Parts: sequence; C-alpha cells; structure tokens
Amino acid sequence: MRKKIIGIICAAALIMGLSSGCATNSNNGSTEESGLQNEQIPADTAQEDITEAEKITIRFATNWGPGDAKYDYFNPLFEKYAEENKEKVVIKLETLSTEDYKTKIRTETASGNLPDIFTWWGGSMITDMVDAELLLNVDDYFMMTDKTSKEDFDSSAFGYYTLPDGTYGFPLESTRPVFIANKALFDEYGLSYPKTYEELKAVSEVFNQNGIIPIAMASKNGTPAEFFFSELYSQFAGAEEELVNMGTTRNFATDNALKTAEAITDMINQGMFPEDTVANGDWGPCLQLYCDGKAAMTYTYPWMFESMTEEAQEFSECIPVPMLDGAANDPSTFVSGFTVYGAVVSKSSFEDPAKQQALADFIDFLTSDELTLALTQSGMIPAKQVAYNMDDMKPIFKKMIDFCEGKKLISVHYTTIPDLAALNMLDASLDELFIQAITPQEFLDKVQAELDK
Amino acid sequence: MNRQRKDNLFAFLFIFPVFAVYSCFLIAPMISSAFYSLNEWNGVADKTFIGWENYKTLMASSDYWLTFWNTLKLVIVTLVVQITLGLLIAYLLYSKTKGLKIFRTIYFLPVVIAPVAIGLMFSLFYNSEIGIFNRLLEAIGLDSWTRNWLSDTRVLLGAVIAPQAWQYIGMYITIFLAALQSIPEELVESAQIDGANKRQQFFHIIVPQMAYFIEISMILCVTGALKSFEHSWIMTNGGPGVRSAYLGVYMYKTAFVNSNFGLGSAISVTIVILALVFTLVLKAITEKIYKD
Repeated sequence: MRKKIIGIICAAALIMGLSSGCATNSNNGSTEESGLQNEQIPADTAQEDITEAEKITIRFATNWGPGDAKYDYFNPLFEKYAEENKEKVVIKLETLSTEDYKTKIRTETASGNLPDIFTWWGGSMITDMVDAELLLNVDDYFMMTDKTSKEDFDSSAFGYYTLPDGTYGFPLESTRPVFIANKALFDEYGLSYPKTYEELKAVSEVFNQNGIIPIAMASKNGTPAEFFFSELYSQFAGAEEELVNMGTTRNFATDNALKTAEAITDMINQGMFPEDTVANGDWGPCLQLYCDGKAAMTYTYPWMFESMTEEAQEFSECIPVPMLDGAANDPSTFVSGFTVYGAVVSKSSFEDPAKQQALADFIDFLTSDELTLALTQSGMIPAKQVAYNMDDMKPIFKKMIDFCEGKKLISVHYTTIPDLAALNMLDASLDELFIQAITPQEFLDKVQAELDK
Repeated sequence: MNRQRKDNLFAFLFIFPVFAVYSCFLIAPMISSAFYSLNEWNGVADKTFIGWENYKTLMASSDYWLTFWNTLKLVIVTLVVQITLGLLIAYLLYSKTKGLKIFRTIYFLPVVIAPVAIGLMFSLFYNSEIGIFNRLLEAIGLDSWTRNWLSDTRVLLGAVIAPQAWQYIGMYITIFLAALQSIPEELVESAQIDGANKRQQFFHIIVPQMAYFIEISMILCVTGALKSFEHSWIMTNGGPGVRSAYLGVYMYKTAFVNSNFGLGSAISVTIVILALVFTLVLKAITEKIYKD
C-alpha cells in the first residue's frame, strides 16, 4: 500500500512537471528584455498590476547584438528609449548573430510568429513576405508621422525595399565598398598602385616573390567574393543596365558575367589571391590577412571598419579597382553604392490599433537622427541624410567618404538578383569557381538554372 | 485480474509522461515533416500539395546525391575510427590500470567541447596561411604533404570529417571501458588457464561479451553521423558548392537558407529512412553473429 501511495505521488509529480514544462513561455535564452521588465514589477499593489497588463508590448528583433559592430552604439540609445517610454510600452529586444538571426526570422515567419518590427534585408529577402502580405507598406507609416519623411533619405535609398506594388522597409544602412592598399608595403617594394590589369599582374608578381598575398580576396559562401564580382562586372559596357534590369530579365549569364568570371579565374592563376580561398573566406579572415600585413590589398565594406586596427587604418589608402582588359567603364569613376540593411514592420502588428502608435514611435526612434548619427560611428553609412561630424569618424571612414565623393553609384548582384535561391547559388558557386572546381561557364549556368526555374 | 489492471494502470501512469514528451517533440514533428515533404511551401505562403514531386526532385538532384555519398563516407569513417579506436584504447586502458582515471578524462575531454568550437579550431588549424598543420608538416620535413585543406577538393571532405571522427572517440572509450569492467573476471581467467593468449582472449572472450555494447555504440555512431551538421557548417558552410556538405547541412540550406521547407522536409524524411535502414541492418548483422 505504501509503495502504491509513493508510486501515485511520483506519477503525479511527473505529470505536473510535464505540464508546467510545456506551459507557454514568451522568453527564450536569446531574448533580452529592456524597458520595464515583467520580473521587476513590484507585486504590492493591484492597481500597478492592472496598469502593467495594459501596457503595450513590442517585440523588436535585430542582429545588432553583443559582438556586432553596431551594438555599442545602438544599445545605449535603445535602453534610453525603452526607459523613457516604459510607462506606456515594453519593448522586448531579441538579438542573435547574423546567420542565427536569419534562421530565427525564417522560422518565425513559417510559424506565423513574426516580431512586430525587425531589422532585415531587402530585395529577394522580402519578396516572399510581401507576397504573403506580412510586411507593412511604409507609406502607411509616413502618412501618420511628422518626424520623418521619405525626402529625409537618399533618393535611391528605398529602392532595396521597393517592389512593384509598394515599399516595404525602412532603409537604415547604406554602404560603399573600399578597395584598400597597404601604402607601407607598396613603398617598401617601390611599387605604384596598379591602375590597369597589366600593372596589377606586375605588382602581384613582386608581392608573390616576397611572400605577400597581392589581394586578400576569397570566397566562403560567396563572401566577400560576391561583391568583388559585382565590382569587376560593372567595368564592362552595359553591365549597369543588366544589373538594374535583372529583376525583370532574370538574365545572369551574360557575356559580361562570363568575362568577369574569366577575369577572376585568371587572377587566381596569377596567384593574386590566397591559395586557400575557403579557409580565408568571409569578411573577417580576409581583412585579418590585410591588417596583419600578409596581404597588400583587400576589398571590404564599412561594417568591417570596427575590426580594423588603428595602424591598419593609418597605412590604408583607398584606390580604384584596377581596370580589367576589355573594360569600358573606368573604375575610378564609379563605386558600388546601395542600401544594404533596414527595418521592416509586421503589417498585422501595425494594423493592431493597440500597437500602432507604439510601433510608429519606435520607427521614429530607429530612423531618428540621434540613432543614425550614433551608428555612423561604427562605420555605417546612413541611408538617411544626416550631417555628421567627420572628426568623430574613424580615419578609414573619412578616407572612404573622400574617395567616394562625386563618384557614380552602381548596384550589385546582391540587391538585384530577384530570386533567393539564385542568390544562394551564386554564393555557393563562387566558392567552387575560386577553388577552380568549376569553369566560368559552369558557374554562370548554375546560377542561371536557378533563375530559370 | 483486478491486481493486473492496477499494475497496468501504474505502468501506464509512469510511461505516459515520457510517451507524451516523445510524441509531442519527436513523433508529431516527424509526421509534420512527412506532411510538409508532400507540399511546396516556402514557409510564408500557403502550402500547395504536390505529392511526390519533392522526392522526384531530390532523386534527380546531383547535389542531393553528392551529400548522400558524403554522409555515407562520414558514417563509414566514423564507424571504423570511433568504434575500432574506442575499443582498442578502452582495452589498453583496461589492461593497464595505472592512470586509468586520468587518461579516461583526457580522452573524454573533446566530447564535452562544443562541436562549433572544435570546427572553428580546426578551420584555423587548416588555414594554409596561418594554420599550424602546414607549419608542422614543414617543420618535420613533410612539405609535400602540405595542402589547402579546405580548398583542395581531393582532401576537403576528409579534412571536414577528421575533427568529427576524432572528437567523439572518447565517448566510445568510456562506454567500452564500462563494458569491459562489467565482464566477469572468471571468464578471462578461465581462458588464460586454458592457454588463450591476449589476442585470443580479446576476440573470443572480450568482444563477444561486449557484443551488445558494440551494437549500441554502432547505432549511436551511425545515427550521430547521419545528424551531422556543425563541423561541416562551421568550417566550410558545406561548400564549396555542397562538396563538404552532409544531408543535414543540405537540409538546412534548402529549408532555412533557400526557404524551401517542402524540399527540406523531404530531405529530412530521407535521413530518417536512412537511419532506420542502418539500424535494422546493424541489428540483423549482430543478431546473426549472436546466433553463430
């Protein structure tokens, strides 16, 4: 009898434990809460509990978390905003590193649990969400705010988030790449910055003989090769139009793309890149080779400026990418420039009368001059037109701005390829092109096959 | 009868919580995945039933078969390396008891390190510019053996498999060591008295006594290999292309990177089928050995 009683108690405890473990819990291990956190609510008065229950809760997700270049500039202002607005809104901040963040948002999209507002990419990354009517048309926000207008942004800033039937995101970050050279290394070997492909070959030969990698360029999941590919591509006649129209033509495998792929293959054969392009792929490893003085040149973007040492910023000079044989467009006259990141809003959340004003206020904060200026200190080029004090900026940022002044801005494949699977195939196939596992034509065919599906 | 029903009721009450968790977090998602695999679904729009089309796409996909063979190679390598080395090292530790606990801890240490950390570590080791592997080979005069470990298609897959095969040897050492320590000493002593040498003792006494543990370890090894993801993803993202991807990586890329949840679910179903086939084959082989 005693054993049976003990058995019943144990079984009941198991079932109760199971029930409580399966109970809904809105917090997870990667979620931070800011503003007035629920667990900090004093449990003394019924009146305060009722007020707390009536507060609006906004879920904001972003990859600007710890470890990200923007975190140190974003988080203090975010916490300040949350504190100032704690009486009327609780903002749950959810952060993850970039790749995990993409998985999170895709999973939550599939489960119908999108955050109310989240930072996200545009182009092919939002087409599915827009087709499913998940995202807010930003005109609905601009109609109800007087703090920001579309005219406050660069004229082309919204292009990344614009689809045939509307604009579905707020551009926050614009960008310009830089092809930088280590002046000290060039001076050491008595070399001039190469302007043509022949000069580049000559310079590369000297560097190779002295154990220096000419260009820290590699490809791991297409990074950073994909952007370098676009940079080279844009040198050829008609390339700009091909890029702009790719959304409608769905034509990637052009003669210009073949010439670019062949040029990259020749660069590899000339020993211009690291031998191990997978191990040295991605932004960090490439930049590290350059900053350590193991490479003479590299191609990078402002989001990596936070990782550049002071010394590297000092010895770096921004130079045009050398002009390829057969190129028609002088690379010293243009630079890739595009909106690369922004914020999108859940349409259903914005249409919820209880949340609408709180969301509009938070969008005001995200697009505010104060936050925009703070984020520029991480090296971010703002999509919004703000006057920032160059004295506050990193040396390499100033050099980039000076270099890009007056140059024509051109698109990149990253923002113009209309299909996510094709973009991913471009990235994966670039890895194969860089290790010469496929030919330039095979590279083109693989990407085009995805676009043709 | 009344007592039998009461006993059954108690048994049910104890089994039910685990069964509920198992059903909720394993069986139900598997059935859902099987359903999704029959649909075209990007995770956003409505699902469109397409029947077996996703499976036909997979069977016709060269990328799928490449990752399939990569996974099979991983299974074979991990079976050979982990089980064989695990058994041998466990037997050596069992034979020489001095320092047993220290060695067991040292061998088990890699198992508790996160696979992500191991993958990151090895991707740095493999780097032809800054990594230590090539530097070590050069230092001992084996310059001809240096490679671009993650960029050379001849060695790429092996380079990605190696850290995973190495990391979990310790787990099987621990399992086999426990199994060895459970073997009655009289059996071994009897064999010694009958004149059996070390090799004969090992193959005719030790291994048969450990057969059940070896079978379980092989099943764990195979199912672990079929679920592999972290090492490949961290070191190469499964690339270049899918040259170093396993089925798990391919499934993740298809579902979460390309937003093709239908096709990704079809891949996950094939992984389950593969795991079941391996398990049944292993059990059939070991049962035959038992009978013999």
